[in-house]
Amino acid sequence: MFKYVLGRIGAMLLTLFLVMTLSFWVIRLMPMTIFENPEVSPEVQRRLEDRMHLHEPMIVQYYYFMKGIVTKGDFGTSVKIRPGLQVFDIIKERIPPTMLLNFFSLLISIPLRILSGTIAALKRNTWIDNVISFLIVIFISVPSFVFASLMQYVFAYAWPIFPTLYNAQAPTIWAAFRSMLLPIIALSLNPIATIARYLRGELIETLSSEYMLLARTKGLTRQEATWRHAFRNSLVPIANTIIPLITGIMGGSLVIEKIFAVPGEGGLLVDSILGGDHFLTVALLIFYSMISLVTIFVVDVSYGIIDPRIRIGGTK
Amino acid sequence: MSEISVNTPQTPQAEKVLEVRDLTINFRAYGGLVQAVRGVNFDLHRGETLAIVGESGSGKSVSIKTIMGILPNNAIIESGEILYDGMDLTKVDEAKMHEIRGHRIGLVFQDPLSALNPIMKVGKQIMEVLTRRGMSRQDAYQRALELMRDVGIPEAEKRIEQYPFQFSGGMRQRIVIAIALAGDPEILICDEPTTALDVTVQAKILELINQIKEERNLSVLFITHDLGVVAQMADRIAVMYAGRIVEMGTAEEIFFDPRHPYTWALLSSMPDLETYERLEAIPGTPPNMIHPPKGDAFAARNRYALKIDFKREPPMFRITETHMAATWLLHPSAPKVDMPEGLAARIARMKEAAKNVG
Repeated sequence: MFKYVLGRIGAMLLTLFLVMTLSFWVIRLMPMTIFENPEVSPEVQRRLEDRMHLHEPMIVQYYYFMKGIVTKGDFGTSVKIRPGLQVFDIIKERIPPTMLLNFFSLLISIPLRILSGTIAALKRNTWIDNVISFLIVIFISVPSFVFASLMQYVFAYAWPIFPTLYNAQAPTIWAAFRSMLLPIIALSLNPIATIARYLRGELIETLSSEYMLLARTKGLTRQEATWRHAFRNSLVPIANTIIPLITGIMGGSLVIEKIFAVPGEGGLLVDSILGGDHFLTVALLIFYSMISLVTIFVVDVSYGIIDPRIRIGGTK
Repeated sequence: MSEISVNTPQTPQAEKVLEVRDLTINFRAYGGLVQAVRGVNFDLHRGETLAIVGESGSGKSVSIKTIMGILPNNAIIESGEILYDGMDLTKVDEAKMHEIRGHRIGLVFQDPLSALNPIMKVGKQIMEVLTRRGMSRQDAYQRALELMRDVGIPEAEKRIEQYPFQFSGGMRQRIVIAIALAGDPEILICDEPTTALDVTVQAKILELINQIKEERNLSVLFITHDLGVVAQMADRIAVMYAGRIVEMGTAEEIFFDPRHPYTWALLSSMPDLETYERLEAIPGTPPNMIHPPKGDAFAARNRYALKIDFKREPPMFRITETHMAATWLLHPSAPKVDMPEGLAARIARMKEAAKNVG
């Protein structure tokens, strides 16, 4: 197990390095003018550009970029969105709303998808299954921003029980949570549906497996057999879908944060790409891939815990 | 030789542990109702091995699934009863069935590769049966070790902590047998237990089943399509075709004095070392059981079919106290038809061999 974890960490670091390199080259090779403000004198411009090594060849800039990150955790300085501020500090400041949003969305969606998928599988081909399957199709095929706008209209305008926008200066935790609820729901619907559908299929397959029959012939009740044998086995492939689930929520939050005016990383990334703040964009890309990589790492390790075949490294 | 009613008990002398009476099971399918089992009768006597032989789709697996109460949802028990210990297993509720499954009747599966939960330690899978009955974990652990030794797994202390994928096919089947034995059942049902295994491993597993049967005085219901396997195992044999038992008798009677043309065909198609003629394959395919043919289901594939075979289904004719067959050839007014010559010659050889051995 230790060797397995170590291997995963190594793979993660390598991927991170590749992602950093790739984002640097792709973004920084795009044309960029830092100062469009005519009031800044050419002398000041030149000196600032010197300080950012912008006159050096790209490969040298790349060296400084990597060196800054590795030795000082320095991702550069923002030039357009919040000029003069450390990129790292800008991102840090924006983490709480994004994290809260994604965290709650995960917190809500994981039990819900397991519940709905399990119920649909156990009640297969009944009206309950049909209703769940119908909802699943709706939630998968309609994009989250449609639900976001719809919910804004219904629950914030027509029947105003929730605020329209996220309230960063909410006086109480409850008020903050209340203003966050709509974006959380909008973010959760699609992941819930995707995984619920997947789990339904997996569980139906394991329920009809031979070892379920064997478990029944041992004298276990249907519930015991389902819980002890089928459920855990259907989680093995499900663990893997947590990765697209989390990246999906993050991707969704780019749009959702914009709609609900959440001051998070998603809105920042959109702004910084549009504004041409390349230092910030690169750092945000790295931030997002870091989260993905950590997710993948956690999932890989939990995979090993669930499935002994991976942990022990069996050949069959 | 007389026509008998299907409800007459066949052998009054032995104690019956399980009686299957007139069992009829249909499956709902897209094309209509599939008549999987059509009025099956048999008894399992204490301490004997009864083999049910038949090709795929003959209804043998469905019959034993009914006994275990693990039929899929689309199966309907039309009629019949399965009498065990004063209960009719077709009617007992789930709660009662849990007591019987695993504890009174154990089942050995066909494919040990898929019958074990891939992500649970084998020890735990055996212990599950024991702890459910209120045994403490320590006791269950010790008992599981004993069971693993009983079924011939070396280094049980080490193996008990391992997962199914770390075992070979034969070893997995031993684990499945250990699970079936854990509840200390009195009936062991083996559903083609060697079909998925290598030939070399097959013999060992059969030997093991015979050995534990002797040790524990089990009654074994052995399902197979392989007559070669049956010869080593069975005291009595029931031959099934298209959801019915077409011939039933002691192993000796079935092998040395078969009466039903289907049994003839099965025996003729079995390879052995001394037969130099071409093996006789059974022509045609089994009938579509959504619309079973009128008359005898085997008639269309039967070289010896009489006109009446296409019109009326033959009843069971009793040949001896233990031997009976459902074919019109046994009717007093039927023309005299002998078994195929090749088969007769082969049986003569087998008898000779049997005499020399024993």
